Amino acid sequence: MEPAEVEFLAEKELVTIVPNFSLDRIHLIGGDLGPFNPGLPVEVPVWLAINLKQRQKCRLIPPEWMDVGKLEEIRDQERKEDTFTPMPSPYYMELTKLLLNYASDNIPRADEIRTLVKDTWDTRMAKLRLSADSFVRQQEVHAKLDNLTLMEINTTGTFLTQALDHMNKLRTNLQPGESSHSQDF
Amino acid sequence: MAEAYFPVGPGLGMEENFLSLDDILMSQEKLPGRAESALPRLAVLLGQGAGSAESIPEGSKLEIPLWLAKGLHDSKRRIISVELPKIFKEAWRTVFSADANVVDLHKMGPYYYGFGSQLLNFENPENPEIAQTILQATGGGSVLPVSDSVCSLQTFIARFRRIMDSSQNAYNEDTSALVARLDELERALFQVGQKGLNDFQCWEKGQASQITASSLVQNYGKRKLTEVDG
Repeated sequence: MEPAEVEFLAEKELVTIVPNFSLDRIHLIGGDLGPFNPGLPVEVPVWLAINLKQRQKCRLIPPEWMDVGKLEEIRDQERKEDTFTPMPSPYYMELTKLLLNYASDNIPRADEIRTLVKDTWDTRMAKLRLSADSFVRQQEVHAKLDNLTLMEINTTGTFLTQALDHMNKLRTNLQPGESSHSQDF
Repeated sequence: MAEAYFPVGPGLGMEENFLSLDDILMSQEKLPGRAESALPRLAVLLGQGAGSAESIPEGSKLEIPLWLAKGLHDSKRRIISVELPKIFKEAWRTVFSADANVVDLHKMGPYYYGFGSQLLNFENPENPEIAQTILQATGGGSVLPVSDSVCSLQTFIARFRRIMDSSQNAYNEDTSALVARLDELERALFQVGQKGLNDFQCWEKGQASQITASSLVQNYGKRKLTEVDG
């Protein structure tokens, strides 16, 4: 899976917009949206919000967690804990990137938010490497990673699973295979 | 193009993958051995005589490729006996256990892990080196027959961190120095790590959302359209 495909999934998340046009309820295959009234907040998927924003048909309201104070708290918490802390959104990285790229005029202190989210990401990736290393060193065979987001898993996942695959083969080499006796001429 | 191409990967176990090009290259590597019985009319092939009728005398030293050694090796018939290559012997195993990161596995290998795994096929009790390897294992108190692949496993684990860090931190850098000392298997792993990093960085910079012509189409466009049609 590529990052663009992860982003594709992230675009299904709902955000609140304030439209400046009126439109009846629309019936999309994944659910009904609207009705849209000027000045009244309405929840729409991110892909639609970005499209409407680009057509200058709405104002975007940032998610509750996209706030400098809250993000600072999350970053400090992340640095303090040894394990992964729960993220405000399963797609925090994607939403930050999308919303800041297309609607930074609607998000107060956009630059600081970008830095904070990037810091959190870096902390988590460093932590991920550290835990992958100890996972491999102790030759564990299972792990529980509830608080990792899809983008994080996807960035290092292939590498880690391939390394574990090699390791598993090297380790099962030691066990006498049952099949080794079957072909005795 | 890379997505539509599915090469057969190396087997990395007791058995190679039949159609894996990596495994075919790996099984070409020479293995020191000794003829346990006379091999008539084969001296020419193994470069030990001139006449086609000359035979290889019993007990002569041989350097045979792994695939041939595997074919000739039989614990009952004893055509040849196989010795461990130098890097899988105890002296080198000690070096690996001291610090696996300092070893140039590409020079030693370049199929260190695959070759080491294949060596387990020659568990020949007459071979003093392998017997010693197995003895070491029972001395270690382990139930499993720990042989030289323990050492390659430990090597792999010890080198894992460095491969991960260098593959995921080196962005837009010249990585030839980093991969110069890696075994072929580790290189593949390094490439996977790099791809993950590069894909993510591309996405972050917004390059992933730009649609670009595939390299195939670009090369195609260099020729004139009339030439292509004709």
